[in-house]
Amino acid sequence: MMTLSTQLLGLLAAAAPGQVGSGRIVGGWGYVWACYAITVAMLVLYAVSLWVRRPKAPTDAKE
Amino acid sequence: MGKFIKWGLLALSLAVLATGWWLGLAWAPPDREMGDVQRIMYVHVPLQWAALVAMFINFVAAVSYMFKASWKLDATAESSAEVGLVLGTAGMITGAIWGRPTWGVYWSWDPRLTSQAIMLVAYTGYLVLRRFVEDPEKRATWSSVVAIIGAINLPIVWFSVRWWRSLHQVQSTPKTVDPEMTLALRVSAFGMLFITLWFLVARYRQALAERQAEVALPDALPSDLAAAGGANSSRVA
Repeated sequence: MMTLSTQLLGLLAAAAPGQVGSGRIVGGWGYVWACYAITVAMLVLYAVSLWVRRPKAPTDAKE
Repeated sequence: MGKFIKWGLLALSLAVLATGWWLGLAWAPPDREMGDVQRIMYVHVPLQWAALVAMFINFVAAVSYMFKASWKLDATAESSAEVGLVLGTAGMITGAIWGRPTWGVYWSWDPRLTSQAIMLVAYTGYLVLRRFVEDPEKRATWSSVVAIIGAINLPIVWFSVRWWRSLHQVQSTPKTVDPEMTLALRVSAFGMLFITLWFLVARYRQALAERQAEVALPDALPSDLAAAGGANSSRVA
């Protein structure tokens, strides 16, 4: 005997063919580009911070 | 040698990383279940590997400092902690973004994510401690102790996905993924490793210059130490 929730799920699945249960994520390139862009931004910002904080005189002068 | 590290290593890093990312984004096949979202792996995993390498270097330098006090070891520890924190933070952000389409949430108190968060807090604390202690010798010793304690978490982060039932997947191996994915991941990882090395060298030089300036200039030391002998009172090589 089908419960009410099972019947409801069946109705929803029938109302949205092609949107339910393919088992594979489709699209998502926005997440991919966001990850790469954030990483590039962080690496560039850290490189800039290293350049700003660079030693003014050669370190081996005092070694 | 200096010019090679400054520009040659940087150029090599960027070229290898760009190649790895191109392979990952355009050449490697999409995942069977995650589709194209899985391409985040070629940036997320190299970031995490490089962060763990940097933090392991921090641990080795801290232990070495406890046996043989040296400004070079202290500078190595400081630089590796900072670089590891930057890479680990980027790794956590990319992991959270990857979690949204695959797990349905950006964050979960899963053992891997929680241990990673503790790791980042620990290394933030390490760098904050270094900022607060003015005496270079005390700073080096105390921060070495914190680094050694903080490193206990490194194997927990790595093995957490095997030790506990975790939302985060277990590490993939070349046997479990497509060979084209393995190649793209390896090239990306080497590119990230080279960039990490370049960051470490640049930050090490800066940290060493700061230590030498602190020891050379009595004004840079706390007043009681400066009065007691200042620059010549340092026992660290």
